[in-house]
Amino acid sequence: MTDCAETMPERNNLLRDNLPTTPLSPRERVPEGRVRDAFEDGVAAALALAAGEETTVTWRRDRKGVVTGWCRLPSGEALLPAARAVAELNGRLAMVTPYLPERAREKGEREIAYHFDLDGATLTLTVILPLQWARVPSLTPIFRNCDWHERELMELYDVQVVGHPDPRRLFLDHTLPNAPFERLVPYSTFTNAATGKALWDKVLAGEREDA
Amino acid sequence: MTTKIIELGPHQLALEEPMYFRVRLEGDRVADLDVMPGQVHRGMEHLVMRRNLYQNITLLERLCSLCSNSHPSTFCTAVEEVAGIVIPPRAEYLRAVADEIKRIASHLFCCAVQANAIGEIPLFRRVMEIREIMQRAKEAIYGNRMDLAANVIGGVRYDLTPEAVAYLYQAMEDMKKPLDELYLQFANNPALMARMAWVGVLPREAAVECAVVGPVARACGIDYDVRKKSPYGAYDRLDFEVATQTAGDVRARNLVRLAEARQSVSLIEQCLAQLPAGPLCADTLPEIPAGEAIAKSEAPRGELMYYLRTDGSDFPVRLKWRVPSYMNWDALKVMLKGEPVANIPLIVNSIDPCIACTDR
Repeated sequence: MTDCAETMPERNNLLRDNLPTTPLSPRERVPEGRVRDAFEDGVAAALALAAGEETTVTWRRDRKGVVTGWCRLPSGEALLPAARAVAELNGRLAMVTPYLPERAREKGEREIAYHFDLDGATLTLTVILPLQWARVPSLTPIFRNCDWHERELMELYDVQVVGHPDPRRLFLDHTLPNAPFERLVPYSTFTNAATGKALWDKVLAGEREDA
Repeated sequence: MTTKIIELGPHQLALEEPMYFRVRLEGDRVADLDVMPGQVHRGMEHLVMRRNLYQNITLLERLCSLCSNSHPSTFCTAVEEVAGIVIPPRAEYLRAVADEIKRIASHLFCCAVQANAIGEIPLFRRVMEIREIMQRAKEAIYGNRMDLAANVIGGVRYDLTPEAVAYLYQAMEDMKKPLDELYLQFANNPALMARMAWVGVLPREAAVECAVVGPVARACGIDYDVRKKSPYGAYDRLDFEVATQTAGDVRARNLVRLAEARQSVSLIEQCLAQLPAGPLCADTLPEIPAGEAIAKSEAPRGELMYYLRTDGSDFPVRLKWRVPSYMNWDALKVMLKGEPVANIPLIVNSIDPCIACTDR
């Protein structure tokens, strides 16, 4: 990573070079990939250096000039170096979105999108993982705030986060089955809201424990 | 020094929603903290994938009461981005008006709750009285005191008649002096200074590390406001300064909120003055194609982010959102460290926590 850091463009230069752009007129839409400037080239170069030359970023700019970058990482192993490269660019982890699109599921794959803020621009790094035995490295050593994102990811989906410092459940009760987003779990069970016999059994069991 | 672990719930913390803390004390000072969320987890990310995009506007408005306009408006922006829908200029301004009315009411509620937490009951009443001007405005214009039902995909579903514009102008005029007085009081009142200044300090470096957003970040000198950094709607045509402080304490967080409330008054006046004529909503909506989009907005508590992925049907493949409170909880570990137990309720309320939003 030392080599990467030395050759990476300075963040301040990237921002300075990213001159304000004229907002697009209504109904005008820039085709994806046509918008290029120093900031976007710099981010793409840093990612390619860190995660492999085949890593490419597609940029979109909306009518107000707000930029989003979309990058599919070539492998799960590329996530950690790519995340380090984003941190070097003063990126902030904004959100983690795991999901199971039907098309990916048919291919035996799943996806996790990591969204980063780069001073107003949003960069999304998507990793493609196998459906079974999916594992990703924890990003908590690089982004402290990834802690809760990864805990939520682990409890909702069948994904193992390797190296998470505190892999407890975050929101869900420990009596619920693992990965409810990948199973048919009744909604009232999922939210612990069923008022049937199961709930009363639980209340009575709790009372017995208290006694 | 004795080490003790205590558990605190909403009753002890003066929270109106359930959140629990396991606090490790060294003597009477906080040494460590574990936040235990999930008490109001409603599985909403599960529900949104089983409702169509139009039904989700209604559902998302019920996610949280205080930022109930930010959720549907940001979600609609994500759908509009996927489908390439351009909303009419009048709708952009009307969305900003709704957002800013909610921001003033939300910020004042937070300041009132903190006054209550330190036993300043007359101040609590005064702040809530001032907030009532905004509550009445919401009721008069939108027909409801909390959920405004202002947004649809492609625009808004309410209009401001000339009479409503005049009413709002008067309401904004009525807010100015009380807001200025409140700012001075939170800045200089010795009783408030004694409880709020140098209390619950979050240094700037820790704020960056915890990735906090909104007034919590801006009170540490982080000059980040989505309305400036990633302009949306009418904000690229409105004039305002990002309110920042540098002390990073409870007082600084409140001063940022009160300065923003005052700015929101100006933003609403600018919207009313610039309000263009024209339709409220795109006349025809295209089919929503397969695609993905990010939409962000500055909710009262900070950056709100939505990610939408569609497959060409009316149902989202994935709809994920991250609320500003999500990261702000972690910063409490820094703010509370070394603080006496008596300061816990005030400091917890000073991040303006939203539990319904966090748990979803």
